Amino acid sequence: MKLSLAASGKMLLTLAMVGCAAVLGLHLWSYYMSAPWTRDGHIRADVVRIAPDVSGIVSEVLIHDNQTVEKGDVLIRIDPERFRIALDQAEAAVAGAKASLDFAKNELDRSDSLLNSNVVSVSRHDELQSNYRKADASHQAALANLDQARLNLERSTVVAPVSGTISNFSLRPGSYATTATPVAVLVDAQSFYAAGYFEETRLPRIRPGARARIDIMGASAPLYGHVVSIAAGIEDRERSDSNGGLANVTPTFTWVRLAQRIPVRIGFDDPEAARQLIAGQSATITILEGDDAG
Amino acid sequence: MNGQIDIYGVFLPALLVLAVIAYVLSRQASRVLARTGFYRLVWHRPLFDAALYVVILGLLAWITRGY
Repeated sequence: MKLSLAASGKMLLTLAMVGCAAVLGLHLWSYYMSAPWTRDGHIRADVVRIAPDVSGIVSEVLIHDNQTVEKGDVLIRIDPERFRIALDQAEAAVAGAKASLDFAKNELDRSDSLLNSNVVSVSRHDELQSNYRKADASHQAALANLDQARLNLERSTVVAPVSGTISNFSLRPGSYATTATPVAVLVDAQSFYAAGYFEETRLPRIRPGARARIDIMGASAPLYGHVVSIAAGIEDRERSDSNGGLANVTPTFTWVRLAQRIPVRIGFDDPEAARQLIAGQSATITILEGDDAG
Repeated sequence: MNGQIDIYGVFLPALLVLAVIAYVLSRQASRVLARTGFYRLVWHRPLFDAALYVVILGLLAWITRGY
């Protein structure tokens, strides 16, 4: 009897320890398997690729690499001489068109007053009216050309469309800039956000509006933010058909499958702190739940 | 606990490092327990040791979860 009591005591102690281990182990498992956190997070920002609207030789570069610029700041100037000449030409063309218009108008007025006294034929009057309309149209076209020449001259100065930081910039005066070919990259200072690539298995515990903690690699203090939105779709990697063709599904039979990563967009609570970030930095993102969610 | 440990530019998951620390600690603990004769009160020693390891790992993870 005494022996069995000792034996059952031993058993109880061991099983108690195993019970403790089971509880803690389960906790660990649920944390690592389904808690909404990911090490696969990145800081992202919207980037404006700045391209000149007109082609020409770059005459002035007013920025340097990694410079912070405000919206409206002049970045580069393309040699405006050609556009000034074009403007002069357009002005001359307008003056010419105006003279033709005035002449046509005078002729038409004269013919108007003479039409009733049968001195001018109806046919001649119609012709003069047509001439006047043509001259008017030419004048309008010349005015439009003038506006375009003005716009081209204005666009030979490239300004910053948003406030931000110039990055990876090495344009020198004398280079030839071509329309629509980017010469600089501007990182929009207002657009920083964190993208967390969460495994699809963790998504049920992520809702827009949830508080999130963002630990940036190498930074000592965490940043906080809120889930803004969850991506509506990602590419189906098992399929590679094109529009209009038949379905092309990769035949696979895999024992080990990996959960897809779904991008979750997280906005920063403190935009000032976010300004210090660098687009592309790695981050660990934790969605806070329960007491931490605050 | 969701942090990572930087070893000369190689970022290891904290769980891996904790697992190694927990192993060392559990070996030490079992040695101490053996010396004090505690194992006379234990039914299956390997089962107890395994449970001890999981408990130590769980506690370590719980303590370091805020970092």
